Amino acid sequence: MPRILIAGNDSLIMPECRHLLEAKGYTLKYCTNLPEALGQVLEDPPDLLVTEKGFSGKNDEVELIQAVKTCLQKANIPIFLVVDEIQLQVELDWDHYPVDDIITRSFIPEILLARIRLAESRMARAFDNNPLSRLPGNTSIIRAIQRVLREADGYAVCYVDIDNFKPYNDRYGFSRGDEVILMVARVVANVVAELARKGSFVGHIGGDDFVFIVREEMVEPVCQKILTNFDLVRNMFLSAEDIAMGEFVGRDRQNHETRFGLLSLSIAAVTTGGGRYSHYGEVSSAASQLKHCVKKLDGSNYLVDRRNT
Amino acid sequence: MDDKKRAQFKKVLREIKNLPTLPGIVAKLGKMAENPDTTTEQMGRVISKDHILASKLLRLVNSAFYGFPQRISSLNSAIILLGFNVIKSLIISASIFEVMEAQDVELWEHSLGCAVACNVLARHLGVKDPEEISTAGLIHDIGKVAIKMELPKEYEMITALSQEKNISRLEAEREILGLDHAEVGSWLARSWNLPDKLVEPITCHHEPQLAREEPMACAIVHFGNILIRGLGYGHAGDIWVPPLNSKAWKLLALAPADIDPLLHEIEEKLWEVKGFSLDIQSGQEGEA
Repeated sequence: MPRILIAGNDSLIMPECRHLLEAKGYTLKYCTNLPEALGQVLEDPPDLLVTEKGFSGKNDEVELIQAVKTCLQKANIPIFLVVDEIQLQVELDWDHYPVDDIITRSFIPEILLARIRLAESRMARAFDNNPLSRLPGNTSIIRAIQRVLREADGYAVCYVDIDNFKPYNDRYGFSRGDEVILMVARVVANVVAELARKGSFVGHIGGDDFVFIVREEMVEPVCQKILTNFDLVRNMFLSAEDIAMGEFVGRDRQNHETRFGLLSLSIAAVTTGGGRYSHYGEVSSAASQLKHCVKKLDGSNYLVDRRNT
Repeated sequence: MDDKKRAQFKKVLREIKNLPTLPGIVAKLGKMAENPDTTTEQMGRVISKDHILASKLLRLVNSAFYGFPQRISSLNSAIILLGFNVIKSLIISASIFEVMEAQDVELWEHSLGCAVACNVLARHLGVKDPEEISTAGLIHDIGKVAIKMELPKEYEMITALSQEKNISRLEAEREILGLDHAEVGSWLARSWNLPDKLVEPITCHHEPQLAREEPMACAIVHFGNILIRGLGYGHAGDIWVPPLNSKAWKLLALAPADIDPLLHEIEEKLWEVKGFSLDIQSGQEGEA
């Protein structure tokens, strides 16, 4: 049940707006002064905040907006600022008002509802995206895994990571390492989009770790294609001398000189059919066991876990 | 040649935005893109037969926005990294020749033929990235397209001068513009962030002795261009076969006895290409 905090005068949200939003399943919480609103934000953060310019004292709305936006955990809460058109004649400094949307008075209830829906869908699209790959991050990944666990159809949750990424970074530098991460993100996302559009998902856990979800019957062709494409593109990211050597020399975590294979991919795929998992944590721990096995193999490989079938 | 004029031509050519493609190719790809069973690879095979779309694809993947500046020299890699949807947009956004002239088709055939010749040479010589060398061969004359598009009047003058004085197009370009298509192609490729592997063969395809980073690729594109001109497939704007550079020839280390089988292999591969070319020109749909 999405909760909306209304911080402003009693007249901020007209009764017909309230009725519509409540009918659509939103819970509305009203605060008419700053301390109350701040307390609410602090202790029980809403899913969305609607406030207005100058609601109880001068600059109170700025205080409230800043309190939400400067907190990392809450920065993704959409904020709507209600203004009078006349207030816009003085151009507002949007850095000072880091809100997500504005609504000018007076507005019909349907406009407010549409804006709220839009803010929700925008947030679902983008709020935890990885800045490098632009792929959804952990919150979205957890949500996607939970979604497929609830579904009757079988899916495969696939964990991808780049072998020898650390020595590559040491040898080629971080910016080249970022290029490789971006390359893997593109390879995975493009293959999944082409072969397994329906019900699929691609996310970036962080660093060189990725997750994708496809329907169980597509897991083999998708994994094969990802590995083939990766092996085709990989050489663009390696120096001619390393390609000729077929390996590179680097230092391991104990600082011993070691020979590393050139970049390769490992994919550990866990199937979810038959209700064998009920929580994403179980999926990820099954995957990390499987990953241990894939990582022992040379070159690019994938393994699909069908232990309980 | 007065420097002011040269600078002016340079400016016009540097600001070039969009090079047009043959309508037949865009139509074919458009149909492919609408078919849900088309794979990215199938689209890639058609794109790798067109010097303009291939350049655009490489420009896109090497742009700062896509995150791989000067990194991607292979069309296959570009296609894998950009993915089906981006390629589809590229095709939809491709501009086509408003008026298609015989010389546009002929230059396209020459470029494609040069790619085939480079591929055969690269494989024969056992170099490690034959696909990239054929790509360099495919786009080696991109400067000619730019000159024709942006300086149509001068382009006609170049053609006339080359016929009148019996000189090569390259010499006529230098006389009229104070620069040549290799130089123009070189700036374009550099401004598109293409890797040296592709830029240098474009820059040095008439002067392979100037190659610094990629002498082998330059020598192959240089000789591939000569072979395809000699075979008379397509038309590159004049009737001459360019002179063979002795340094490049030494680097290639080919024996005279190698040439006949090479030519034979190139001609065999050109048959497939000819089929595709007829298909494109008749505007019919065919299997990629």
